[in-house]
Amino acid sequence: MSKPLDVRGEICPYPMMQTAQALKALAPSEHVLEVLTDHPPALDTIPAQAERLGFSARIEEAGASEWRLTLTRNDG
Amino acid sequence: MSASAPAAAPVVPPARLFTLAVLLALVAAVYVHTAGIDVTMGRFWVLGLGFGVVLQRTRLCFASAFRDVLLLGHARNLKGILVGMAVATVGFSALMTRQVPNTALGILPPEAHVLPIGLHTVVGALLFGFGMVIAGGCVSGSIYRMGEGYVASWVAFAGILGGLTAAAYTWNAWYDLAIAGAPQVWLPSLMGHGAAVVLTLILLGGLFLLASWWEHKNGMDLPEPAGRIAGAATFRGKVANGLKRVFVHGWPVLIGGALLGGLNVIAFMTARPWGFTGEVSRWGLTFMTSLGAGPGELAGVGSIPGCVLDPGSGEFLNPMLLLVTGMFAGSLFAAIAAGEFKIRIPKKQSRFVQSVAGGLIMGYGSGTAVGCTIGAFFSSVPSLGLNGWVWAVCLLAGAWLGTHALKRLP
Repeated sequence: MSKPLDVRGEICPYPMMQTAQALKALAPSEHVLEVLTDHPPALDTIPAQAERLGFSARIEEAGASEWRLTLTRNDG
Repeated sequence: MSASAPAAAPVVPPARLFTLAVLLALVAAVYVHTAGIDVTMGRFWVLGLGFGVVLQRTRLCFASAFRDVLLLGHARNLKGILVGMAVATVGFSALMTRQVPNTALGILPPEAHVLPIGLHTVVGALLFGFGMVIAGGCVSGSIYRMGEGYVASWVAFAGILGGLTAAAYTWNAWYDLAIAGAPQVWLPSLMGHGAAVVLTLILLGGLFLLASWWEHKNGMDLPEPAGRIAGAATFRGKVANGLKRVFVHGWPVLIGGALLGGLNVIAFMTARPWGFTGEVSRWGLTFMTSLGAGPGELAGVGSIPGCVLDPGSGEFLNPMLLLVTGMFAGSLFAAIAAGEFKIRIPKKQSRFVQSVAGGLIMGYGSGTAVGCTIGAFFSSVPSLGLNGWVWAVCLLAGAWLGTHALKRLP
């Protein structure tokens, strides 16, 4: 099960804060969070935060100045 | 989807290349025009462009440097800033040693940011720290994000302009209460040039270690951005990767910090160190004065260096105007080149209120404390003024309060 999180348009540091909150709130049955962001600094900070919470990150371009971060739970 | 991306796609799309060429022509035209009037203006335009490009590429945000240590537990930006100040400390010192060889005479190097320390520093830096966290960026951060297309940063900048203008109307009261009798403490006049530089470098180095330990303890060792680039098999791919490292991906923050420090040394060598708020206050005060509602005489501003409020009596076109606007242009250019420019509009209306309120608080704080994270900190510590350290401690306290407020905001 994958859960989407759209933080486009948000100002600093909400993309990072909301991602961390969403990761902590994921149900045990949910293994993937897909974050859509247009905030470049988040490409450095979200993966590190995700790793701390037990997730690995994959980044791909999702349009002009937009990126999709796929955060997958390491045990699943 | 990403697997099907063609390997032979151009590194930079033609439409973007055209926009960059037009922008470059405009930038060159401004240089030719302003350098023709005054060489320093042309140089400050180029320096401003440099600051803007480096800030955008490193995403080196001073607000996040202080905030993220508290909020996210990483010190990426703080470490870059510490390296930048170490570089500037060596460069500034070489310059100040020439300007004031004999430190026992009680003379201060005229353009160094050695500012009066008093209650106004404490209150101003606290307000600034609080405001920058609420607004999501300090003054320099807001300017470079304006270039990236963040609408909220334009709103924050309007707040900063308003706050700086408002500070002029309470300046004389602050002057009588705190600023007039406040000491300007220049470390070399206490211990000589050599000891002051060594002490500053030891403090910066110690803080760097402390910041690294803090990251390690929190499990937040951020990888450098270049680590995200996959290896390439072909030579063409390798060249494309090299270009991507410079123009698309963020730069390693320590290199960016060192570049900012180096640019600041060049700015000081050219005329004066990096700073914004004096110049931005001039825009607001010139406007108010033109309406016949100016703040009147501001006590003592002529004898205080750095980013002190500027009532705007001289020519409107001056080097500092070009430094500030150059920074915006540099960031815009770098953001377009990297494909990171986008008009970003917050979905929540409350973010606009947050940005303008944070900006107003920041603007008032920097008007009262004589500078922002750049003028009163990044240019002050290397000026070997004690004020830079006092500002940093109070700023951190303000950022801590702001972080708590931020967590409570919806």
